[in-house]
Amino acid sequence: MTEIERTYTCAWCNTVSDGTALSCAGCGVSIDVRQTVTKSGWIEMPGRHDMAKIQIGNSHLQIEGEYVPVADFSLAEGDGVYFTHHVLLWMEPQIKVTSMGLKGAWKRLFAGMPLIMTQAAGPGHIAFSQDHSGELIALPIQPGAAIDVREHIFLAATSNTTYDWFSTNVWYTTRNGNERETHYPLGMFMDRFFAPTTPGLLLIHAAGNAFIRHLAPNETILVKPTALLFKDPSVQMHLHLEYPRGGRFSWGLFSTWYYRHIWLRLHGPGRVAIQSAYKHMEENGRNIVSYSPATQAQW
Amino acid sequence: MPIERVVCQWCQAMNEKSAVSCRACGAPLDIKNLVSESGWREAPRIKDMTEIHFGQSTCQVEGEIVPVAEINLGPGDSIFFEHHVLLWKDDATQMSVMTLQGGVSRVLAGMPFVISVATGPGRVAFSRDATGELVVLPLHPGMELDVREHAFLLSSHHISYSFVRIKGLRNILFGGQGMFMDRFVTSNEPGLLILHGYGNVFERVLKPGESILVEPGAFLYKDATVTMNVEFQQLKSGFFGGSGMSLARMTGPGRIGIQSMYIHHNTE
Repeated sequence: MTEIERTYTCAWCNTVSDGTALSCAGCGVSIDVRQTVTKSGWIEMPGRHDMAKIQIGNSHLQIEGEYVPVADFSLAEGDGVYFTHHVLLWMEPQIKVTSMGLKGAWKRLFAGMPLIMTQAAGPGHIAFSQDHSGELIALPIQPGAAIDVREHIFLAATSNTTYDWFSTNVWYTTRNGNERETHYPLGMFMDRFFAPTTPGLLLIHAAGNAFIRHLAPNETILVKPTALLFKDPSVQMHLHLEYPRGGRFSWGLFSTWYYRHIWLRLHGPGRVAIQSAYKHMEENGRNIVSYSPATQAQW
Repeated sequence: MPIERVVCQWCQAMNEKSAVSCRACGAPLDIKNLVSESGWREAPRIKDMTEIHFGQSTCQVEGEIVPVAEINLGPGDSIFFEHHVLLWKDDATQMSVMTLQGGVSRVLAGMPFVISVATGPGRVAFSRDATGELVVLPLHPGMELDVREHAFLLSSHHISYSFVRIKGLRNILFGGQGMFMDRFVTSNEPGLLILHGYGNVFERVLKPGESILVEPGAFLYKDATVTMNVEFQQLKSGFFGGSGMSLARMTGPGRIGIQSMYIHHNTE
């Protein structure tokens, strides 16, 4: 009699494990709970057992706590992680900390992005957390694969993943008299993480709850720009503007939109993930005079 | 026949064998202690509606996201607390003010000038303003505990309250916790101290001479025997000069508690 195969493919990170453990080996989410999928097709990030462990080469990661989870790395000799400023919680004194210079410093400076990444090398323990409640998401990156992450979401990544950034090309300009103001609903840049040869691990912190869905080729969905967490590079995005009837207030030469929607339209194929506690965008209601490629609708 | 007792792993209090939560600190006795591989012990997640006993009074912990500590004060018992943590109270609960020494220094340091006191009989309830955990710390006689300013929720009157000035200009400027720390000392009687930690709370016991580097904004409490010194690490980035990072070196012996949703301070 042949033994029944018990492999399990994680719906969250696609890692295939032997199905005997309680947590996914790639991202640490519980596999002994029923997957929660909304009727609209969003998969809710499964809960994680407190103190869940993820093996990364010779090092491992333990995720501790549930309100504001902590990512506690046990780095082996020769292994390392890099991270942005302001997420370091504690570290052992023997951890070696250095800075990792980034290209395009001027542009990053003007875009309000961190100028340097900090890198930590083992052996030893080092731990990270964000400063608001939410979920900690571990994303394994397979060799040759990449993930695009909205700015300021990233927590830490293993040293075998490369870090790059690209212009979002999602913007619009408003005018008030002679004054023009350019807005970047997604931020000017997005982070891209790539694992060239060996599997890497990326950690991000979602505010509130996190949901993921797989878009089929040419399938589209509209999301609030600040709700986007990450996407596969195959997912294309552009601006979508919606103007409800009666959403504009005009008096003489003065006119302002007190009610309109600025969306991000995402085109499949690929994964997209969103967070439930997104920041509201500042909207000055002025007329939009130019914008990046966009679709529009009135209703 | 000897009576079987269960020792609470969090506060070492003895409990009846049939108890499901510790009488002194509310920690569940029927679940495993959560300790990370690096040695941090997670503060026990107090089950909703758990009751804790101190003196002639009880404290019921209500809610889990921003928990409330509801105190039912026995006659003659009292508790003290900072401004802005009071959630509700019975009309009958007597209120007064504990005057403190060094009032001007405290005002200048942004610490509360007055500490309020509620005296039983009566009910009074407290909560902070963000997601987190209640950390219940029964203090045994002779203990001294230092707590980050504005982290303490309430304390029973058996504990004496003072404040210690943080030594060293660097510690004050880059330590992320101002000029003072609250100090709670017990003399002959045990007392109850309840803190609110933002996010999740973890505790670790440092051996003599053992040290660990902690984000200063994450520090929550420590035994008075643990020393704290802020170290500055410069990270260079070519033309732009780079950036700095302050970390607090905590050196044992003693306990140290941290919170995962730390209060960020400017280090640049």
